[in-house]
Amino acid sequence: MSIAATFLGGAKDRLLPASVPFRYFMAAVIFQILAWAALILGADELAEFVGGTGYVLAALHLLTLGVLVMTAMGASFQLLPVATRKPLQSVWPAQLAFWIFVPGVLLLAFGMLDGDAVFLHAGGAGVVGGLLIFAVLTALNLRKPAGFQIVALHGWGALLALVVVASLGLALVIDFSTGFFENRQQIAMIHMVLAIFGFMGLLVFGFSQILIPMFVLSRNLPLRASRIEVGLSFAAIIGAAVSLFYDSTAGLIAATGIGLAAAGMYLWLMRSAFQTRMRKRLGLSFVLIKISWGMMILGLLIGLAVVVGAPVPNGMVLTVFVLLVGWLLTFLMGILQRIMPFLASMHASGRGGKPPLLSELTAEGPLKVHAICHGVAFILGFAGIVAGVEDVIRIAAGFGFIGALAFTVFAGLIVIKITGNRLPFFK
Amino acid sequence: MTDLPGKHWRADDGHHIDVRGLEPPEPMVAILGYLEREGASSPVIVHHFREPVFIYPELAERRWSHEIVAGDPDEVRLILRKIP
Repeated sequence: MSIAATFLGGAKDRLLPASVPFRYFMAAVIFQILAWAALILGADELAEFVGGTGYVLAALHLLTLGVLVMTAMGASFQLLPVATRKPLQSVWPAQLAFWIFVPGVLLLAFGMLDGDAVFLHAGGAGVVGGLLIFAVLTALNLRKPAGFQIVALHGWGALLALVVVASLGLALVIDFSTGFFENRQQIAMIHMVLAIFGFMGLLVFGFSQILIPMFVLSRNLPLRASRIEVGLSFAAIIGAAVSLFYDSTAGLIAATGIGLAAAGMYLWLMRSAFQTRMRKRLGLSFVLIKISWGMMILGLLIGLAVVVGAPVPNGMVLTVFVLLVGWLLTFLMGILQRIMPFLASMHASGRGGKPPLLSELTAEGPLKVHAICHGVAFILGFAGIVAGVEDVIRIAAGFGFIGALAFTVFAGLIVIKITGNRLPFFK
Repeated sequence: MTDLPGKHWRADDGHHIDVRGLEPPEPMVAILGYLEREGASSPVIVHHFREPVFIYPELAERRWSHEIVAGDPDEVRLILRKIP
């Protein structure tokens, strides 16, 4: 490397060791298997689930914390320093957060099976501890960003939502044994809405504005539209949380309407990226990403229908299923299958020698199996919830389980490849 | 090169692309956009504000090598060469 490159501190200085993002991504991939397994066991509880301990609650948190938040943490640690052009202050807290968060999620999920206070409290402490480290590291990185103000704005919003979500989550865990909430359902709803839209939704919207143009090789997105999107998103999320707190149906309808407008603006931004894109063949990952965008709108529309009192069978469960599995899980699996080979190749480039090609790192077979199984799992899950048929939901979860296994093969092969061990069937 | 971001010019040592001042991913678009042109000449000299690690996988996939060389104090300069 030249003196100039060393002096300037290039993007390489902002890159973490590959082991940091990859440990989060691999954990997310494995937690997806556990989440579907828990749903297989709890299929009889899902359609009419209204809260309380059991396999569904465990599956829900294995999915949200174990897969969605885990992926978000790995991606944030890796990508935020690049977007803000500020290096992470230190690497070890990102590693520490992982080793606190992962056992925390496992213990919490185990405790949620039967409400065991020891597991719930230990797990809750681990989860909140890991999230706290993540929040502090992210906040330090988001202060005075040198680039990508819009991504930083989304990041701040997500971080604030995370603080409320984690606080309410911890309170709900303690409430299992003490029962101090007068209206536990209301608090759980605020916790869920802020987790889905406030934390995950804002991260998805923010990171999309750097990742999607990068993947499709498009011109930058129009800043004015991005500002409108972030304003609408904040208004919708705050409006929904406040409306739930004051039990205002009119407020919730308005917030969902604003949320639909924010989603529409986000999709318009994504469309503008596609219109100026140079990359013509986008591959399977973008099939998943595009479908996830449709599911985001569908989830909001079903949610709106439920709020206005339309007769949607098992409407609340259906809304959450469409948003979590249809939108967020599908989107993140699409992003992960694009970003994991990319990061692996990039890190390998830094080690000198001939880096593995993206095409060599992408095992198409397991990805196709995953996509098909994930699609079938979603369709059957949707139908099973609407019809309230336990067996259909169990078969759906079985397909999800097989898809998650296939995705683990894809991710594992990348790790094997970049760690220098080769398997003869890798293609 | 008006349809591509960045400054483009030809010199005796090759085709130059200056992407300093562009927000990501436009530096990547400027560089890969040129490399994918019919008749893109090798070598290509890139004037960047940082080492563009995100482009390395894309370069490798397109069979272009990269090398960081000495440049001005406010830049990271790369030479990209088509691998025969």
